[in-house]
Amino acid sequence: MDKLELFFIKRYLKTPKRNLFRFTFVFMVLGIILSVGILSAGLNLFQGYESNLKSLLLDSFAHIGIQSSYGDLISEVDSASIIDRLSQKRESLSAIPSLECPLLAQKGDKIRAINLRAYDFNREFPYQKYVNGGEGKLQSGEVIVGHYLAEELGLGIGDSIELNYPRFDRITPLGILTAQNNYKIAALYRSGYYESDRSLVISTLEDARALLLLPEGYSKIELRLKDADKAGLFARDYSEELGQDFIPIPWNLYAESLLRLVAMEKWLIFIVFSFLVLIAGINVISAVSTIIIDKSSEIAVLKTLGASHRSIKRLFALRVGAIAILAVVIGQVFGAALSWFVEKQTFYRLKGDVYFIDTLGARITFPNLLVVFLVASFLIFLCVMFPLKQIEKMQIIEVIRHKH
Amino acid sequence: MILSAKHLKKTYIDSDQVIEVLKDACLDVASGDLICITGKSGSGKSTMLHIMGLLDAPDSGELIMAGKTIEAKSPEAPMIRNRDLGFVFQFHYLIEDLTSTENVALPLLIAGQSEAKAMDRARELLSILGLSERLRRYPNQLSGGEQQRVSLARALANSPKLVLADEPTGNLDPSHSKEVWDLILSLNKGELGQTFVIVTHDVEAAQAADQVFELVNGILIPA
Repeated sequence: MDKLELFFIKRYLKTPKRNLFRFTFVFMVLGIILSVGILSAGLNLFQGYESNLKSLLLDSFAHIGIQSSYGDLISEVDSASIIDRLSQKRESLSAIPSLECPLLAQKGDKIRAINLRAYDFNREFPYQKYVNGGEGKLQSGEVIVGHYLAEELGLGIGDSIELNYPRFDRITPLGILTAQNNYKIAALYRSGYYESDRSLVISTLEDARALLLLPEGYSKIELRLKDADKAGLFARDYSEELGQDFIPIPWNLYAESLLRLVAMEKWLIFIVFSFLVLIAGINVISAVSTIIIDKSSEIAVLKTLGASHRSIKRLFALRVGAIAILAVVIGQVFGAALSWFVEKQTFYRLKGDVYFIDTLGARITFPNLLVVFLVASFLIFLCVMFPLKQIEKMQIIEVIRHKH
Repeated sequence: MILSAKHLKKTYIDSDQVIEVLKDACLDVASGDLICITGKSGSGKSTMLHIMGLLDAPDSGELIMAGKTIEAKSPEAPMIRNRDLGFVFQFHYLIEDLTSTENVALPLLIAGQSEAKAMDRARELLSILGLSERLRRYPNQLSGGEQQRVSLARALANSPKLVLADEPTGNLDPSHSKEVWDLILSLNKGELGQTFVIVTHDVEAAQAADQVFELVNGILIPA
């Protein structure tokens, strides 16, 4: 940076109102703030959606589910042995047995397909934080019902729900024989993960076994890890350790493609919204071109006095660039405010059956802030530099003659 | 000899018509000279001055400064304009966003001088030209005569060998015009002995110069 550039920078900073905050810049700055704000908000919301979805998936399901390789139940003895071994692992948080079965829930003429999950409530119950109402421990004859399911069936806490188990092994001339029982709704389950909230019914192991006519055993051992992201790695180790009778299935086997899709969508949105910054860049080109025309006398004077093209171009780039960078930063603050507002608002909720979760959440991360800043600054920089080529072509003599 | 213009030729094309403004213009400028070039409007006076100041290039002919040929399109041209030449135009061409002192300091900053030194020199020049009360004024806070005096101070900032002035009083009322002419004469005749080539259509004022030329049909003839 030469003495002239340094002088002008100090001059601009000394009297910013006179040199920087000019009407010519108003629409340029507004365009940058709006486009960067939308880009930031879009990225923050998608980041929030991705994080919330992953967090809900990890909280609503086992990180590793250990099942029998033959599709039958895991015996009490095997279950105790597996739990004992896996609980001692450093990476393990908890290991609990569960029983799971698809059933039908009925209230009057309304029937819904549900997923029954049964736990031993004398052990740890990992989904307690999603349970609203009730007195904590589930008693025999009581169930916890997903709140959307309860809503669809018109049920609430204290009401009775009928669970039907179609026995496909007992087909009679009158149809399929079903085992059925009525349960009292002790609490509602609300995780935010739509699929669970709409189809889950949780009961005690004893009630489930009685309904399903099972003497003993579990359909899986639910294992939770300290670092769920390493589930795939540990599942491979456990597969070798537990032998061929059991299959450890990590959570990401089901959900990874979904999360990858969400991450891809996030970056697609980022690319699409980056075009908004480019459109704002057209304003920048227009503003810089206007300034160059407006300041043609100034440019001619500097050239006459011996300033180089490069130096004059840098002067203009610094002047507009300083405002543009400030606008990018303000845009990012606006984006953060916009995503906060979207997160807090209550008049629009996501459709859970489409988006898996029903709440919008924003998450601001440093890498995302940096990416938005760099991409927006780069695009704006290109738009600033493009019209500055005019300075090289500008002939001093033409400007002086025109003024005459 | 500070600057020699040899057989300058310059033509313009205007609506398919070739206008030959300079046919064979020659001028030698020696140190301490005060030369005035007069002529009718459109006679090519300003073109002559722009070529001498490396702001425009002739179609043919050459400019020699300190024994070397110099060209408007050469990479050295900006440096020559900065160090060896000073310019005063009909319109002051001061930068509106800078104060008088800052405007005068510009050639010094371009030459690479520190801001402090440049500002000191600018203040000194403005005081010499009677503007010590106007150091912090912006151009729009100055009268026409004061603006032109600031412009003259800027032209003198780097102690150039030659100051080229194109109708320096053309935009001023008679009293301010006289003020500027007196200043030019004092700078030329005084201690500084500043060399000037001035283009003017004011034949009466031009009589104060050492040499007066008239540009007629593209040729400079002594008036």
